[in-house]
Amino acid sequence: MADGAASVTVTPLGAGRFLVERDGRQRLAHAVRANGAAWVFLDGEITVVGPASSSRGRTGPDDEGSLSAPMPATVVAVAVQPGQRVAAGDVLIRLEAMKMELPVRSPRDATVIAIKCREGELVQAGVPLLELDEA
Amino acid sequence: MFTRVLVANRGEIAVRVMRTCREMGVETVAVYSDADARGLHVTLADRAVRIGGAAPSDSYLSPDAILDAARATGAQAIHPGYGFLSENAEFAGACAAAGLTFIGPPPDAMAKLGSKTAARRLAEAAGVPVVPGAIPADQSEAAIAGAARRVGLPVLLKPSEGGGGIGMKAVHDGADLPAAIAQSRREAEAAFGDGTLYVERLVTRPRHIEFQILGDRYGSVVHLFDRECSIQRRHQKVLEETPSTAVTPALRDRMGAAAVALAQAAGYQNAGTVEFLVEGGGDGAAFYFLEMNARLQVEHPITEAVTGVDLVRAQLEVAAGGRLPWTQAALAQSGHAIEVRICAEDPRQNFLPQAGRLALYREPSMPGVRVDSGVVEGAEVSVHYDSLLAKLIVRGETREAARLRARHALGQFPILGIRTNVPLLARLLTHPRFVAGDLDTHFLETEAVSLLPEPGEPSADGLAVAEALGYGPAAEHGGTSAADPWSSLKRIRG
Repeated sequence: MADGAASVTVTPLGAGRFLVERDGRQRLAHAVRANGAAWVFLDGEITVVGPASSSRGRTGPDDEGSLSAPMPATVVAVAVQPGQRVAAGDVLIRLEAMKMELPVRSPRDATVIAIKCREGELVQAGVPLLELDEA
Repeated sequence: MFTRVLVANRGEIAVRVMRTCREMGVETVAVYSDADARGLHVTLADRAVRIGGAAPSDSYLSPDAILDAARATGAQAIHPGYGFLSENAEFAGACAAAGLTFIGPPPDAMAKLGSKTAARRLAEAAGVPVVPGAIPADQSEAAIAGAARRVGLPVLLKPSEGGGGIGMKAVHDGADLPAAIAQSRREAEAAFGDGTLYVERLVTRPRHIEFQILGDRYGSVVHLFDRECSIQRRHQKVLEETPSTAVTPALRDRMGAAAVALAQAAGYQNAGTVEFLVEGGGDGAAFYFLEMNARLQVEHPITEAVTGVDLVRAQLEVAAGGRLPWTQAALAQSGHAIEVRICAEDPRQNFLPQAGRLALYREPSMPGVRVDSGVVEGAEVSVHYDSLLAKLIVRGETREAARLRARHALGQFPILGIRTNVPLLARLLTHPRFVAGDLDTHFLETEAVSLLPEPGEPSADGLAVAEALGYGPAAEHGGTSAADPWSSLKRIRG
């Protein structure tokens, strides 16, 4: 990869277009900076370098035991209560966004410490929804 | 013909309907929510009316707001597009009561077909085969579970109302029935306000093949051939093509005749789609009526591509009281068409929908390619509506020519700033089973591993371009630590 990079020439053409030349072969790429990352499109494939937006939105235990919304969404149902024991894979909260139901599942066996959202509430990406006890 | 038509929808379908209206010299009225004030469909209309807040229930699903907008602008007819109020018989009736023409089927035909259980009975009465199943009169969990066992596992639980795969659950093990019934009912109640369920035998490795029909108010109905829609994810279509590789001329005649018979039994007018499951192959393949969609379909352009007709124009003509513009004998399929649905979703995160700004968006332009879209570069993709950004439709003389054209066009369709399914669609079009036409409705699940990009090696050329933008491992940019030159790479090869 690193020595391959040495033989590549990238020429900006303006308006987000780039000519990539490698060993005499040309390809037209499109690229743009967005959300603190470089996004590159080349013949149907996408390369994102830097902290792409959707990685921060991954549903999962962020820090310690809190679970957050992967994207702005409406809380359709809160299926658990504080103090409840849950198993890995249990659906804890159901979100809905863009006509899709998004179940938030428990990443492990745990006890629910606190619920931080209400049914019907519109939550933003990355906002903690619920806290589990530490693993 | 009407002089002014209100389009009660948003996004690509509103844009598509307006294009035909303008060609015909019919003025267009857009309606929009607060989230769509600068939407493409608003900017392309002759007039535009704000109808409410971003939530669909405050705007595009509000019959009163839409009827008020029609009265205020002097529109004579309403085109509902698909989704939203398009299959709402009450809304169609309210249009008629307000002296407006609803561009779609009559409310009574819509009501008969909108309920899957009523549609099933109608199909049986019209001699159209249906999947073996039961509609439990007693809707208790125990009675539905009992019906499922009598039909024989595996079964498919389906809401009686609605569509789009919402609330549908396949159940293979009797122990899973209570949870599946509860979830199916809850989703049906949330989406359609009615939790009535029915049970069908699960047809294994089925194909989903549908027929476009069109009827006028004088009782004539024609079909415009088949569309193969087996490439689905969670019952949402991803790629459609016509003609289907599974439909022989003899089977096409039988299925087309069944579709027309059903539409006539329902007293259907205007455009609609009869969906079938097909089991087996050849002239003797079994087909079962699935449901009828009483509206223009998302995938209607592939029918237009191979028949040369404008379905929206035909909708307007028959709604205005005209006769069908063609006889069955005058219609023919020519060539092969493929549509792929380009959606704001991340296939590697279980197709999580993506909202945000389209930092770069360029549509391909080349022979045999059509793009129906509802967005432009710089647009914000809202969290309030579905994730469909654009449809890429191609036509070729043969299936292989269409497939290669679709793959090439996708490579010329950069969309950056939010994740889309373009890379998945590009892989799908070169998958050996797709190339061979070996499809069933489980295709995407079965082949997921080979369709999702491997997380390993990033594209060297992609990284080189990123570096030109100042991102990446190059030391001269003072970027990253020597210990791990790839530490800044978070997401690679979408």
